[in-house]
Amino acid sequence: MTPVLVLSAVLFATGMFGVLTRRNAITLLVSVEIMMNAGNLNLVAFSRLYQPELMTGQVFAIMGIGIAASEAAVGLALILTIYRRYGSTDVDRVRLLRE
Amino acid sequence: MAEKILFIIFASLAVLGALGVITRTNIVHGLLLLVFTFVNVAAVFLLTQAYFLAVIQVLVYAGAILVLFAFVVMFLNLKEFHQLEQLHGTQKWAVLVLAPILLAEIVVVVAGATWTSVGAGITPDAIAAQGGNVRVLGITLFNEMLLPFEMASLILLVGMVGAIVLAKKEDGASMALRDWTGDEEAAQAVVEQEV
Repeated sequence: MTPVLVLSAVLFATGMFGVLTRRNAITLLVSVEIMMNAGNLNLVAFSRLYQPELMTGQVFAIMGIGIAASEAAVGLALILTIYRRYGSTDVDRVRLLRE
Repeated sequence: MAEKILFIIFASLAVLGALGVITRTNIVHGLLLLVFTFVNVAAVFLLTQAYFLAVIQVLVYAGAILVLFAFVVMFLNLKEFHQLEQLHGTQKWAVLVLAPILLAEIVVVVAGATWTSVGAGITPDAIAAQGGNVRVLGITLFNEMLLPFEMASLILLVGMVGAIVLAKKEDGASMALRDWTGDEEAAQAVVEQEV
């Protein structure tokens, strides 16, 4: 199972790179989705490793997918609101709290 | 052996797709590469014998969530994305160092640990003898994991309500105020105050 865990780590690091470097809010959200997918991969790998006959980990991965769906819906609604207020989806422009 | 080769192929394709997602300047290309990544991860799920999850992954991630993203991209002004796509200036170089360090840390920990697996003897045949992956998963989901399952449905409901309230044209706070009190003027005052 170690290769699956390494794949998950690589995907997570890739997603983190995207979140920290991109300025477009939608690309940010897409990178977060990649990171959540890496987490699901981890759950499945450990489920296979420790409880292959119970599948508790796989059930939690299903929950993770559901939570990712609702997170995407709320995040995209936030992006729409930000776009209406600021006229762009540049996350650097949203700095009301800093000023 | 064949499984290992397939895993290497699908894993490298998934990583390449993810790298493409975070480097494309065109957001539509990025979304298509995201579908590619998710389908490859679904193939990895298949190789770890999580068959139902692989199907759910394709249906929910590559289907529903991607349609959601595509719709929002259509709502917004696409021309602007190209101008927006520069990376953060100095932050980029810091992350270029930090992300590989994070990756190296996780890989060192994962590769260094010795997993005392109890499932080494469990073969696909053993799961098939119990009625297959989907059956075992369903029994687990609706027995001992029933409470988390219901909580997930509640989270989806909250997410749906939140998305509708946030994305509505009218200002969310004023709308809630008007609905609660029936006071149209007070709601308008909130809108003017915020503007």
